Amino acid sequence: MLRHAMQRIGLAIPVLFGVLLIGFLLMQVVPTDPATVRAGPQATAEIVAAIRTELGLDQPIWVQFGIYLGRLAQGDLGVSIINNVPVTQELGATIGPTLELMFAALLWSIPAGIFLGTIAAYWRGSLLDKFIMAISVAGVSVPVFFLGLVLIWFVGFQWQLLPFTGRGGPLWSMDGIRALILPAVTLGGVLVGPVARMTRTAVVDTLSADHVRTARAKGLAEHLVVLRHALRNALIPVVTLIGLQIGFLLGGAVVTETIFSWPGVGRLAVGAILSADFPMAQGTIIVLSAGFILINLTVDLLYAVLDPRVRQS
Amino acid sequence: MLRTWKRAALGGLAALGLAVTAQAQTQPRNQITIMREIDSDRYDPHRSTALAGGEVLTMLSDTLVSMDFDMRTIQPGLAARWDVSPDGLTYTFHLRTDVTFCDGKPFTAEDMAFSLNRWIGRTTPRVVSPVAWRAGNVKEIRATGPHTLVYELNEPFGELLSQLTLFFGSALDPAAVERLGDNFGVQGFNGTGPYCWGSWTPRNEMVLTRHPTYRWGPPSLENRGPAHVERIVWRVIPEAAARVAALQANQADVTNYIPEAFWDAIRRVPTVTISQQPNYFWDFFMGFKVDKPVVSDVAIRRAVHQAVNREGLVRAVWSGHAEVARNIVNPRAADYDAQSDAMVPAFDQAAARRTLDEAGWRMGTDGVRVKDGQRATFLLYGINTLANQRSGEIIQQALRQVGIEMRIQLFDATVAWGRLATQEFDAFFLSYPYVSATDALSLYWHSRNRPTPNRMNWANPQTDAWLEGARRAIDPAERATLAANIQRQLAQEAPWLTLARSQMLVFAGPRVTGARAHGLYGIGIYKGLDLRVR
Repeated sequence: MLRHAMQRIGLAIPVLFGVLLIGFLLMQVVPTDPATVRAGPQATAEIVAAIRTELGLDQPIWVQFGIYLGRLAQGDLGVSIINNVPVTQELGATIGPTLELMFAALLWSIPAGIFLGTIAAYWRGSLLDKFIMAISVAGVSVPVFFLGLVLIWFVGFQWQLLPFTGRGGPLWSMDGIRALILPAVTLGGVLVGPVARMTRTAVVDTLSADHVRTARAKGLAEHLVVLRHALRNALIPVVTLIGLQIGFLLGGAVVTETIFSWPGVGRLAVGAILSADFPMAQGTIIVLSAGFILINLTVDLLYAVLDPRVRQS
Repeated sequence: MLRTWKRAALGGLAALGLAVTAQAQTQPRNQITIMREIDSDRYDPHRSTALAGGEVLTMLSDTLVSMDFDMRTIQPGLAARWDVSPDGLTYTFHLRTDVTFCDGKPFTAEDMAFSLNRWIGRTTPRVVSPVAWRAGNVKEIRATGPHTLVYELNEPFGELLSQLTLFFGSALDPAAVERLGDNFGVQGFNGTGPYCWGSWTPRNEMVLTRHPTYRWGPPSLENRGPAHVERIVWRVIPEAAARVAALQANQADVTNYIPEAFWDAIRRVPTVTISQQPNYFWDFFMGFKVDKPVVSDVAIRRAVHQAVNREGLVRAVWSGHAEVARNIVNPRAADYDAQSDAMVPAFDQAAARRTLDEAGWRMGTDGVRVKDGQRATFLLYGINTLANQRSGEIIQQALRQVGIEMRIQLFDATVAWGRLATQEFDAFFLSYPYVSATDALSLYWHSRNRPTPNRMNWANPQTDAWLEGARRAIDPAERATLAANIQRQLAQEAPWLTLARSQMLVFAGPRVTGARAHGLYGIGIYKGLDLRVR
């Protein structure tokens, strides 16, 4: 198990390095000069040159990358060009709301997806099965921004049930919970469909397995057969899918946070890119990418825990 | 037993659901939330020219003089009165004696002199304001007494008082500027305004708290102070549909950031009140680089004016909620010249074809005119906004009908300003606010302002002389005459096509009264002293 974990971690390191390199190079090819942005629209050439030296932009690219890596190793992501605040400070303030949103989205969408998938498998071929699968396809197809706007329009505006303009407060307050619901439903909405479909497929496959036939032969009720013997074994591919989808949730969070004015990393990333705040944009790219890698790594390790064949291979 | 447990669980869930969804729209009492689309880069009046910065800075601080809602009358501000020397070179401001900063420190002429000198880059460490030129050609700004400030110029500047109403001339506390250094306006602020710095979460919200001893608001406002509300929250809501819904659902109170496409629908909502500022000067235009091939020909530029139906453009792009424009200057702005309005070529496609024919531009086989082997084609740059996309398509189509090809390249706002500072293009789309005719003309048409903001590369000694004369003029009639000369010259030469004059509407939800649109430099709510929760 330890060897398997070390192998996966070893593979994650070059991926992370690649992300850092691509993130750095992307900022180099953007046709905007950070020194000009910082200097302002009417600054003289001398001022721009001085800022370029101060930022190290007059150095060759590989030197700049080396300096960048050196700073990263010390936990220094630089300072925002826009408001002089350390990038780590802004990321620290925004990572909490993003995790909060993702956790809330997962909290309802995974059980909902597994429940719907199991129901569909239990009554496979029925009208209910077809209805659930149709809902799942719709869930996969509907863009996050559309679902968000529909919820804002009906739940927030027409029925005035829930707020939709930012974080209402800490998670332990009623205002905080209320403000979290619509963004979490929006973000989780994209996860329900894939989880339900995968659960249904896996449960249906497992229901024809030998151990399930044995369970039935023992006289167990069908719902117990499904819950205790089929679902438990069917969860392995579902866990893998959930892991992959959580990574994609980070992308959905960028859109969801923008629509709902949620003060998370995704919205910070959009704001930083739109305002040409390069250090901040790089910082958010690193955090989002590292999050993606970390989630995949966790899923890999979890998969090995769940399925002994994986760690033995 | 199991059934009882299930019932209890279901009951608990239902109760939680009711609690969670109850009173979704509650806002703290005596707090007003103002929505906007983007945040400012910082709140230092000398390091940012952003409109989003100005919106908050007019609440955090005051200027020597203030602008009335008619956008012409200068009213007292921190200065109770002022004298101007006969030669127009020396302004003596007599400051109010009852003004204090948010921290309670009394405001003096020394503080005001420091603030204005910082604007023009004469303090240490030096700050370079991109709009220092708005302060005029300053000889010296000094305090001659605790409440007397002398503002000396090297040459008269008739626009000075108008310029001093803008937030760039805000009063700052020198001690706070020194203490916060580069973080002044980022991590704190100490001003004399009706509201004080509470907290700022960049790109999210700015919280202001009432300045309790404030009693020196502009005479143009009903309430001179202190403010009626305890807290103002400026909240950034990037999504337009979310802003519209939030206003109607009482989740926010005031905004002037509602796209024109929603205006008709919102007018039908009985709970939303709308205030319009008729004297609002923010124009959209298409400028030509007059020294580039094709567009250097005045016949091409005049033909563009004649080919474009600006009424149709306003209907299609601004949903009819903008004014159709002709002259460079808004008819309600000071020193506007009505005669030049009639000189701007009107929409008439037949006339456009005649203009081009007479100038020797013959129709080519591909539908694009040619003259001396050169095709009538030019490249337009702009920021990638919905208005520019639609305007570009409509104008492109209109020009094609008279034999002119317009190629369009729009850029994301992050890179557009850099590209618009180059000489790669022939024409461009932009929009801008101004205070008066002289202000608008000085910004764009003096030869020393090339290549930006004078992106037209307009270099005409006569224009320069008239502009300098208008800036120096003490006599309003003389200034108006010189401004009129420039407007007529530009109407004749057609170096830019004014597309539309946008309108300023402030929308307020049912909780709020006193949300009156002001519009100075594009600012919807000026000071916020009249805002009140019902």
